[in-house]
Amino acid sequence: MNEQKGPEKPVLTRRLDRFFLEMYAVSAFVGRIFKEAFLPPYEFREIVKQCFEVGYKSLPLISLTGFITGIVFTNQSRPSLSEFGATSWLPALIAIAIVRALAPLVTALIAAGKVGSNIGAELGSMKVTEQIDAMEVSATNPFKFLVVSRVFATTFMIPILMIYTVAVALMGAYINVHQNEATSFQTYITQVFNAITFLDVFSSVIKSFVFGFTIGAVGCYKGYHSSKGTEGVGKAANTAVVTSMFLIFIEELIALQIVSALRPS
Amino acid sequence: MNENKRSVQVGIFIFLGIVIFIVGVLFLGGQQKRFIKSIEVAAVFDDVGGLKVGNNVWFSGVKIGTVRAIHFYGKSQVEVSMNIEKEAQQYIHKDAEAAISSEGFIGNKIVVIGGGSPQIATVEDGDILRAKTVLGTDQIMETLQENNKNLLKITTDFKGLVSKIARGKGTVGAVLTDSLLAEEFRATVMHLQKAAQNAERLSGSLSSYAGKLQTKGTLANELVTDTSVFAGIRSSVAQLKKTATTAQEIAGKASEAVSKANAASNNFAAASEKLTRSDNAIGTLLNDPQAAADLKTTLKYLGTSSKKLDEDLEAAQHNFLLRGFFKKKAKREAKAAKDSLEQKTP
Repeated sequence: MNEQKGPEKPVLTRRLDRFFLEMYAVSAFVGRIFKEAFLPPYEFREIVKQCFEVGYKSLPLISLTGFITGIVFTNQSRPSLSEFGATSWLPALIAIAIVRALAPLVTALIAAGKVGSNIGAELGSMKVTEQIDAMEVSATNPFKFLVVSRVFATTFMIPILMIYTVAVALMGAYINVHQNEATSFQTYITQVFNAITFLDVFSSVIKSFVFGFTIGAVGCYKGYHSSKGTEGVGKAANTAVVTSMFLIFIEELIALQIVSALRPS
Repeated sequence: MNENKRSVQVGIFIFLGIVIFIVGVLFLGGQQKRFIKSIEVAAVFDDVGGLKVGNNVWFSGVKIGTVRAIHFYGKSQVEVSMNIEKEAQQYIHKDAEAAISSEGFIGNKIVVIGGGSPQIATVEDGDILRAKTVLGTDQIMETLQENNKNLLKITTDFKGLVSKIARGKGTVGAVLTDSLLAEEFRATVMHLQKAAQNAERLSGSLSSYAGKLQTKGTLANELVTDTSVFAGIRSSVAQLKKTATTAQEIAGKASEAVSKANAASNNFAAASEKLTRSDNAIGTLLNDPQAAADLKTTLKYLGTSSKKLDEDLEAAQHNFLLRGFFKKKAKREAKAAKDSLEQKTP
């Protein structure tokens, strides 16, 4: 009774099977992150280290990007408003654009490029060099130590980075507005805060938490599941960035729909 | 040590981020008056024109609250609930009116509270304000549409009018197309120009006169400014008036005398005219040569006869009958002459 095992028959199609398997793996990975995050022991040192890497070290890059974004966006918006003689509405327009969309998006995209690729490459190389296996052997939970700490760091540091970006971008915009319209700082700030609402602020913060979690989870997943070889490390880093950015835009779209539904009509 | 430093840096980073966030939230809350005590008032409108929850409420141009809720009321009306700052409550009276307006031409919709009498009590929580209907964009557009129609009628009429003028119809058309009229008009304008030049010269003279009037020490200036001169002039004028009255009286009398002289001269003229005629005695004497010759002959005869009479009388004196009489008469005359001479020389 020798039964020869042929190639396994796909449940749906090969591609669909692969897609749903990937979905399952991602879901299981995310579920494990939540599970491990709440269960002791807690890797505080590693979390602080990752917060330092993700948050503190990204601050200069994010600040510069936010500052330039503020200036450029103000300058590019002026001609449109100028056509209606409504340049006095520039602070309101900038505030809404920065708080609602630009700051969370710019922060998340820059972080996805810098932090996501870093996490993917780092975990990928650890996987390739079998350091993760070694950790398992040494009774250290590599998932908790490597993945949870990083996801935690990105989830909590991206919103803080976003707040910095808002502040710096508004400053950059103020410089441009002051230079062209000679608006005083007090008037500018008053107009900015007149235009935005609590819903704008809190939706952006919550959105940033989601973006941060996405960057960390995707980076860790891609690195943690990278294929063997140096090629796999590069691929893990690359796909981490591309997938994170893609997901960020998808999430932004969904968040927009939810916030629009919540906004009083 | 290195790990400690990193933790501190992360701590500062997080702390500053949270501080910025809290400051922003507080500022936003302050701006939107979220943390200020407020009362709730409402107003019922027929049309809110797109007013939204969170829109501002203004009183005397100052933001005093926000729209809290918008609900349908009755059959088709809309009830707008507003949160009003407790601080502004003392300025809003129960008879105040609420109206839907906008922050600018393209600005957000707002509720404007205005009016209210000071003698009426101030609003309280839960009060319903009277709604004031103001002209909306649609009403303005309707009025504009009506204006457009009127404008079309006016331009149509004007078009017909201009066409008639261009064809030379009517007075204006004739004025514009008739060359003779144009010439006359040109001449009129030239006259007007001259008149204007004269008026200019006159005004120049008047100006210079006025300037002289302003020059101190001159008679004109004194006339205008010096009260004593003016009083003197007034008294002179009064005297002149009296003199004129007297002269008028004299002239009246003279006129009377003249009229009498005139009558006398008329009489004299009539008399002289009669003298030229020969139907009266003197006229005959003056004008009739025959009568003159007769008179001359008569006078000649009279001369001759008087000479003869003289001779006769001389002869009579020497007559004996009358001689005595003449002698006595001569003696009496001589005696009278002697007496008068004696009286003159005492």
